[in-house]
Amino acid sequence: MARLFRLLEKKRGLRRTGSNLMGGVGEALFCGAMFLLGVLSLTALIGVQVVDPDPASYAIGVGRWLLILVMASFAVIGGGGLIWTVLRMGTSAERRGAMARQASELDLLREAIPRPRHYPAVPTYEGLTNSPGIELAYRLPPSQSPGWRLLATTIFAAAWNGVSCVLVVWAVGSHLAGRPEWFLTCFLAPFLAVGAWAIRYWLRQIWLDTGMGLTTVEISDHPLYPGREYQVVLAQHGHIRVKSLQLWLVCEEEATYRQGTDIRTELRRVFEQRLSHHTDFRIEPVEPFQASILLPIPAPAMHSFHAPHNSVQWKLLVRGEVEHWPPFERGFPIVVYPGEATLRVERSAKVGRHALRSHEPVVAGSAGAKV
Amino acid sequence: MTEGIEPLLSLCLADSRQSYSAGDELICEYQIDAVDPADIQAVEASVVWYTEGKGEEDMGVHYFERRLPGDADDGDLRPMRRLRTRLPHSPLSYLGAILSIRWCVRLRLFVRRGREYVLEHPFTLGAVPAGVIQPVIVG
Repeated sequence: MARLFRLLEKKRGLRRTGSNLMGGVGEALFCGAMFLLGVLSLTALIGVQVVDPDPASYAIGVGRWLLILVMASFAVIGGGGLIWTVLRMGTSAERRGAMARQASELDLLREAIPRPRHYPAVPTYEGLTNSPGIELAYRLPPSQSPGWRLLATTIFAAAWNGVSCVLVVWAVGSHLAGRPEWFLTCFLAPFLAVGAWAIRYWLRQIWLDTGMGLTTVEISDHPLYPGREYQVVLAQHGHIRVKSLQLWLVCEEEATYRQGTDIRTELRRVFEQRLSHHTDFRIEPVEPFQASILLPIPAPAMHSFHAPHNSVQWKLLVRGEVEHWPPFERGFPIVVYPGEATLRVERSAKVGRHALRSHEPVVAGSAGAKV
Repeated sequence: MTEGIEPLLSLCLADSRQSYSAGDELICEYQIDAVDPADIQAVEASVVWYTEGKGEEDMGVHYFERRLPGDADDGDLRPMRRLRTRLPHSPLSYLGAILSIRWCVRLRLFVRRGREYVLEHPFTLGAVPAGVIQPVIVG
């Protein structure tokens, strides 16, 4: 049975349920109408000014300049959209993709950054091998720099509480003047609660980043290949009593999609394996904790994959529980290349190990789908 | 175009293979029928990968050829044509939780009045197993 059409649901993604041709025509008509409206209105405005000049209407605050700006933006956006739509109509996605690939091969930046030539859609790893380790070949960078998170938290907490202060002064002023702003006073309660939470989170972040101590992960080789084993050295610095410190190998799928005007990202963990677990020990500033750990990459593992909206990401995850501190997690991305076991297919196998179930097999001789 | 009859697109992988190893040569033959050659504006054959699942679709073009009537000897794009290409090492076909990567040979026919017809033949590249990977037992 067909799903009911939900009026209040936001449209997901760029997929079209109807005819591409009709969709393209609709887009072209919309952009064309916008362009015409902009151009005709601008012409009328300028024409009137030429025929009957009225400098007063262009004074600051009258709004004529704003009108011209809006109409010019209509003309530019409509014209640009019309050109884009016309260029796209009649050009297949494959042709656009082939042209984009040719353009990317000419990209000068691409030549400057070494990329895996025979491994399309596998992410580059140059950022992961430019820091030599002390014990092993490379020191892995953390997936999220604590400095950026702290900066973002600081900006949010400062901006929110700055606005809160202005509103508090306004509300108190209204009460002192005998004309209490009750709506503003009531509105301030949740506003101040969010501000307090932001300050608490900010302080916690400072505490974690400055007091916890550095976590470093070094690795014997990079990139990694499934079916092989590598050496990892995990080090935790600080002046802390650790209840538990674990190292995990994790693989996650990430999918980004547009829903209405929102861009959403969904993350799904598809593999995790605990590589080490250390409990109840003390770390002194002069004697950081250090452990050498074996890292086996499963032979049938999917390789790292990166595309504009989808990715498969591998990382080493350090999870810690420390006395008198909130639990923490620190990720260190790694790049896994396709392994021997997954590159080769048994020639005798008639059907792949995972048949493409959502597609009906298309046999030679059948008519194509009309689009 | 022959009125009332849809063009017939045929696509056939050599040896009827469904699975390929990375670096294998893919050989494919395609043919078009039941359409007046004068109605054909262009034919595009491509080997592509694309994603399916929760996210927006991503697509990569590994091989692409576009033929216009002027490219054929007698202006007829219908006769059988063979394409061959060596497949890359990635991305391998994958069936994950919220993301799948699929490969296919795609034939696209452009005829008069802006109409298009598409035929796809899926295949798998590599042998990444579907489902949960078992952790490796250390020691």
